[in-house]
Amino acid sequence: MEFLNALIASSPALLKGLSVTIGLTALTLVFSVILGAIIVAMKMSSIPAFSRFATGYLAVVRGIPLIALLFVIYFGIVSVFKVDAFTAAAIGLSVHSSAYVAEIFRSGINSVHNGQVEASRSLGMSRVATMSRVVAPQALRVVVPALVNQAIVSLKDSAVASFITVDELFMTAQRLSAATFQPLTYYAIVSLYYLAMVGAMTFFAGKVERYFQKRG
Amino acid sequence: MTQIDGQPRVRITGATKKFGDNVVLNNVDLEVRAGEVAVLIGPSGAGKSTLLRCINGLERLTSGTVEIDGVRLEYRERSLNHMREHVGMVFQSFNLFPHLTALENITMAQVVVGKRSKSEAHDRAAKLLFRVGLGEKANSYPSALSGGQQQRVAIARALAMTPKLMLFDEPTSALDPELVGEVLQVMRELADEGMTMVVVTHEMRFARQVADHVVLLADGAIAEEGPPEIVLDAPASDRARSFLSKLQADG
Repeated sequence: MEFLNALIASSPALLKGLSVTIGLTALTLVFSVILGAIIVAMKMSSIPAFSRFATGYLAVVRGIPLIALLFVIYFGIVSVFKVDAFTAAAIGLSVHSSAYVAEIFRSGINSVHNGQVEASRSLGMSRVATMSRVVAPQALRVVVPALVNQAIVSLKDSAVASFITVDELFMTAQRLSAATFQPLTYYAIVSLYYLAMVGAMTFFAGKVERYFQKRG
Repeated sequence: MTQIDGQPRVRITGATKKFGDNVVLNNVDLEVRAGEVAVLIGPSGAGKSTLLRCINGLERLTSGTVEIDGVRLEYRERSLNHMREHVGMVFQSFNLFPHLTALENITMAQVVVGKRSKSEAHDRAAKLLFRVGLGEKANSYPSALSGGQQQRVAIARALAMTPKLMLFDEPTSALDPELVGEVLQVMRELADEGMTMVVVTHEMRFARQVADHVVLLADGAIAEEGPPEIVLDAPASDRARSFLSKLQADG
C-alpha cells in the first residue's frame, strides 16, 4: 500500500525525468545511426586513410567504459565550448552507441551475397546506387532486430547521464530516495519505468520484424 | 545463320590475369564480332569465367587490354558504369534482387541508370517478361520462382538496358536438368535475333547449334578456336581432344 502511494505520488517527478530520458535516448538513436553509417562507410572504403581511421575509432570507443567516455567528453567539451550537461550526455551516448551500430551495419552489409553487388554493378549501377538500392534494403532486414536491441541498451545506458548532472529518470529517482531515505522503494519504482519502456520497445520491434518478414 | 558484319565488338589483346602467384589467364587474344555468338568451353579452372568477367571489368586484368567497339576498357568508376550500361551479364546463380519483384528487378536499373521514366521502364519490363515466357509472374518475388524462371528474369533484366553485347557465365549450370531447356531456348532466340553473345557453358549441344565461334580454353590459354564443327568434331590439338573425349565418356 505504501509502495503504491509512493508510486503514485512520485509519478509527476518521474514522468518529467522520463521525458528527458526519452529525449536523450531518441537523440542517441538518431545520431548513433548517422555516425555509425559514416563509420561503416569509412571502414569499408577503399581509401586506406578512411578505413584506418574507422578501425581506430571503433577500437577507442569500444575500449573505453561509457562512464569514462562521458566524463571525458563532459569535462573536455565544457572547458572549451559552453554546452550544457544534456548536450554533453547526448554526444557521449551517441559516440558510444555509434561504434556498436557501425558493427551492426557491417554485419548486415556482409550478409548480402556479393553476387547481388556484381549483378547490380554489371547493370551499370554505381557503387552508391548499388549500396542504397540493392545492399541497404536487404541489410536492413537483417539489422533491425540488432538495432532495436541496441536501442534498448541505449535507453538503459542513458541512466549514466545522471553522473554528469542530467535531470533524467534515474537522477530523479536518486533525488527522491535521498529526500525520503527510502532507496529501495524509489529504485524499485524507477526500475518499473525502465521495464515498461523496454517492454514497449520490444513489442514495437516485434511488429517491425514481422512487417519486414512479410515482404518477400 | 545470323548476319555478322566485320567490325569487332570485343577485342581482347594479351589478356593476363593473376591471383597472387596463380596465373589464371596467360596472354589470351580473342575477338568477337558484332552479331556473333562465341562460346567458351574447357575444363573447370581453365579461366573461362575469369576471361568473361574481364570483359565487363568485374575482374581486372593484370596486363593486356579489352576493347568494346574500339573503346578501351578503363577501370575508373564512371567509365566502367558507362560501359556496363551497354554490356549485359547473366550469372550462374541468377543473382536476382530478392527484395524486389520480377518486374521491379527489370525496371530498377532502367530508371536509375538508363534515366527512363517509371512508366516507360515498366512497359519495357512487362514486354520482356512476356517475351521470356513469364508475363504472369511480374509480381512474384524471386523466392517464388523456379531456377529456370529466375534465370529468364535475369536475362530480361539484362536485356532491359538494350545491351549491344551479352555475357553469359554458365547460365544453366545451377539448374535442374529439366529446367535447362527453357533457358537455352531464350538464349537461342536471342542469338537468332542477332545479339552479340559470349557464353561460358558446358552445354555442348548448345555450342554446336548456336555458336558461330567456339573457343576452347585450357590452363589459362586458348587451346583451340574456330567454327563449332571444327573445334568440336575435328580438333587439332591434343588438349582439345582429351577434353572432348572426357565429355563424351561422361555422356
